[in-house]
Amino acid sequence: MSNNQIAQKSSSKGILIQNVSKMFYNAEGEGIEALKPVNLDIKAGEFVAVIGPSGCGKSTLLNIIAGFESATAGSVWVDGEKITQPSIDRGMVFQQYALFPWLSVSENVEFGLKQMQVPAEERKKIVHSFLELVGLQEFANASIMALSGGMKQRVALARVFCTNPSIILMDEPFGALDALTRSMLQDELLAIWKEYEKTVVLITHSVQEALVLANRIVVITNRPGKIKLDIEIKLPYPRDKKSLEFRELEAQILSQLTDEIAKNYGAKPKSLTAD
Amino acid sequence: MLKRIKPLQGALPYFIAGLAIITVWQIVVFLLQPSPAILPSPFKTANTLWELIQSGELFIHISASLSRVVSAWCLAALIAIPLGLIQGTNARFEKVFDPVVELFRPISPLAWIPLAILWFGIGESGKIFIIFVATFFPMLLNTVSGVKAVDPVMIRAGKILGCDSSFKLFIKVILPAAMPTILVGMRIAFGTGWAAIIAAELVAAQNGLGFLISDGMEILRSDLVLAGMVVIGVLGVLIDSIFRLIGKKVNWGQS
Repeated sequence: MSNNQIAQKSSSKGILIQNVSKMFYNAEGEGIEALKPVNLDIKAGEFVAVIGPSGCGKSTLLNIIAGFESATAGSVWVDGEKITQPSIDRGMVFQQYALFPWLSVSENVEFGLKQMQVPAEERKKIVHSFLELVGLQEFANASIMALSGGMKQRVALARVFCTNPSIILMDEPFGALDALTRSMLQDELLAIWKEYEKTVVLITHSVQEALVLANRIVVITNRPGKIKLDIEIKLPYPRDKKSLEFRELEAQILSQLTDEIAKNYGAKPKSLTAD
Repeated sequence: MLKRIKPLQGALPYFIAGLAIITVWQIVVFLLQPSPAILPSPFKTANTLWELIQSGELFIHISASLSRVVSAWCLAALIAIPLGLIQGTNARFEKVFDPVVELFRPISPLAWIPLAILWFGIGESGKIFIIFVATFFPMLLNTVSGVKAVDPVMIRAGKILGCDSSFKLFIKVILPAAMPTILVGMRIAFGTGWAAIIAAELVAAQNGLGFLISDGMEILRSDLVLAGMVVIGVLGVLIDSIFRLIGKKVNWGQS
């Protein structure tokens, strides 16, 4: 496939999170602990889903891995290198898409390649193949404003995968989409992930999404966040949501999460839906 | 076909408004029968306007005023936009500069007339200076707010997509993201500058629409005053709609 020639496979890297903690300080100088020391060893090519109640610090953890925020203590290592700032080698997909509305669809996908100083002719080829991959080749010259949410996130996926990063970080990427679009994009993401074998860290609040996509699930507790559960998901892809194993795992993770959410409200809710 | 009809449709409310103003004006003249020196009829004013057009005098005034506004506006853009970009991105600079701006902003361009004469004399530069004052602040303030309103997520996206220096980030993300607001500022500034031609041309002007009005007042020719006012109003709307048209092409944001 032409895609493989351009974006080489197996360039993924692992992430080592060592004693990473985060304190926020308010105007009075009081510290609020957002993350208790977190240790996590993510292997190259792993698809890790991080779940937790809202405000548990899971996005903070992702932002520290991305290099947007610095840890109060501890450090994150990629391939023996300590993370101090954002890098194009760690791509990110945002919930709000974060596409540049002054650029067309293809120019958005091209943006990172331009910064990497990929020659124009090669850029064109790469952009074309990745737009084809997400089924948007007909919209190459369209304005971002004309796209639906699902199409925007497809552009964002093309934009992040085309620069061939070692790691892809996703902050609730499908959270703003309707259920049908979300499930379609999940399938597409899985297909791309399998082809390019990237290390993925996905933040989500949906247990089902985590179980459909990830081969490892990490549950984080209420603020200050710390890891409560860390399990490998060995179910074969594509995952059958109706299978017994899937449902058992779902119930197990949900019960852990329900405890956490109940702590938030001071009482244990009677039931919690999967999504 | 559709594209041709659209601007006409946009102009329709202005035609109706113009017609309504003329009607009310005519009724007032008909009922009160004022002396033409106090309020000439619309017909008298139209006649004067036609004479000004035929003699070519009107175009001299228009081009004089327009060239002053354009020069002042360009000058203000060259200074206000870079300053606004710095103020919007640099918190320390803003802390010092913002109070200065806020102190100067409430002072009307009219108040600058005496100093403009003292500093620049009665030539063109004094007039341009007064219009400059009127155009400077809308451009500055819109640039600042445009830069500040850039979505932090855009900035993060830029950073992680390889904008590894603040300069790159500024050129590739912040500036284009702020551009629609900056353009709005430029449009508004042209409007305030256009409105300031009266103030600018109060001082020893030999031509210009402001001169036409102040001269008309001195020689008790209300028809000249009104003709000048009509031209300022109509041209103001025309120029603004040209800006809007340009804005629509560049503006990816709204609509």
